[in-house]
Amino acid sequence: MGLTPLRLRDRRGMRGREAFWFYIILAGALLILDMTGSRIPREIRAYANDLAAPVLNLLDRPVRAIQAGLERVAGVSDIYLENETLRDENGRLRQWREAALQLSRENERLRQMLKVPGREVPPAATARVIGIGGGAFERSILINAGAKDGVLRDQPVVDDSGVVGRAIQVGHWTSRVLLVTDLNSRIPVRLERSGIVGIAEGQNETLLRLRFLPKEADVKVGDRVLTSGQGGIFPPDLPVGKVVSIDGEFIMLEPLGMLGKLDYVRVMAYVPVPAEDKSLLESQDGGRR
Amino acid sequence: MSLARPTFMTFGAAGFVPLVVSLVFALVMLLPIGSGIANVTMPNLVMISVFYWLSHRPLLMPYGACALLGLFMDLWLDVPLGLNMLMLILTRLFVLNQLKHYRGRSRLVHWAVFAMMSFGLYAFAWLVISAVERSVWSVQPLAVQWLVTAFSYAPVGFLLGRIRRSLSK
Repeated sequence: MGLTPLRLRDRRGMRGREAFWFYIILAGALLILDMTGSRIPREIRAYANDLAAPVLNLLDRPVRAIQAGLERVAGVSDIYLENETLRDENGRLRQWREAALQLSRENERLRQMLKVPGREVPPAATARVIGIGGGAFERSILINAGAKDGVLRDQPVVDDSGVVGRAIQVGHWTSRVLLVTDLNSRIPVRLERSGIVGIAEGQNETLLRLRFLPKEADVKVGDRVLTSGQGGIFPPDLPVGKVVSIDGEFIMLEPLGMLGKLDYVRVMAYVPVPAEDKSLLESQDGGRR
Repeated sequence: MSLARPTFMTFGAAGFVPLVVSLVFALVMLLPIGSGIANVTMPNLVMISVFYWLSHRPLLMPYGACALLGLFMDLWLDVPLGLNMLMLILTRLFVLNQLKHYRGRSRLVHWAVFAMMSFGLYAFAWLVISAVERSVWSVQPLAVQWLVTAFSYAPVGFLLGRIRRSLSK
C-alpha cells in the first residue's frame, strides 16, 4: 500500500518528535553522568582529543604561518625601538646572570654542607599548544604530549615565565591542561615578600583572585606570588602571578605565565605525594577533574 | 523501507556537506587563536553553521547530525558532556518551528532571528552549567561569546552561502 503525502508527513513528523526526545534524553543522561563525577567521560575525552590532534596539527600550520607573517609586518615599524630596549635589557641581564651564578654556587655549597636534597624538578615533556577548549565555559589548552611522552594526570605545566596550569586529561598523544585562569583552578601560593600563604583562584577571566589570606596580611601592588608547595600538585617556588589591584577583600593577580602567547610549554615530572596518599588527595578533590 | 533511511543520504555526497562543514568549524574552534589562551573569544561557528543550514536546507541537518556535532564539541571543548548537544538539538527545534515566519526574508532578518535564538540558548547554557557546577557562574564570559557569535553571523553566513550556491550549481 502506497503512502499518501499526508501519511508520509505524519510518519516523518512522528519520527522527528521521537528523534528529538531520544536525543534530549541522551543529552540529559550524559549531563547527569558528568555531574556525578564519573570517570568514563574523562577517559572518553582524553581519547577524543587524540582523534582531533592530527587534523589540528594540519590546520594549525597555515594559521601559524599567517600569524607569524602578521607579527613580522607589525613588528617592522617598532624594530629600531625594540632593538634599543633589548640592548639595555641585555646589559642588565648580564649583571643579573653573574649574580645568579654566584648565588647558585653558594646555594649548592650550603645544600651540600647541610645535606639538603635538591629541589630541581626535571621536565617530563616539552610540548606545543595545538588547541584550546572551553569557549566561554572553561580555560584549557590541548598539548601534543601524552602518556607515550611520560605525561601523567595532575602534573604541573609551566612556560618560561611561570605556572600555566596542570594536566587534567592524558591521552596517548595529547593532554588537556587546565589553565590557572579557569574557574576550577585553585593553587596554594605564598607571597614572595612576606611568605604569607593563600589560594590563587581562577575566575574564567584574565586575572586570578588571591583568597584566604590572614586579615592583617601585608600585601602591596606589585608583590610576586609563588607556589607554596602545599596540596601536592605544584612544587614550591614557581612564579604564579603578580598583585595588580587590591580592593578590600578582592586582591587580583595577573598570571606570570604568558597565557596570551602560549606556544611551547613544559610538563614537569613532579610526583610529591606517595602513591598510597594519592587516593586520599583525589577524594578531597571531590573527583571534579 | 525508504523511510528508515535518513533523508540527507538521498542527496548523495552533497547531502553530507553541511555536516562536514560544521565538523570542520568545530575543529577550527579548537585552534589556538581564540578564547582559551588569548582571551579573544572565538565565535560559536558550529551554532552559526547549524542555524544556517537548518534555515536553508533543513533536511540536510537532522537531529542525529545536530546531536553528533554537539557531542564532538562537548568532547573537544571539554565542556559538560551533553551541553552543546542540547543546544544544537534546541536550535533545530527552534528553526523548524519558526522557519515559516522568516523563510525568504532578508539576510538582516535571518541575522536578527539568529541573535535572538542564540541569546536564549546561551541563557539556557548558563542555567545548565550553573546547575552542573553547583555554583552561580559569571555571566560576562557567556555574554561576550554571545555578542561575538551574533556579530560573526554575517561573515560566516556569507561564506556558507557561497558553499551552498556552489552545491546548487
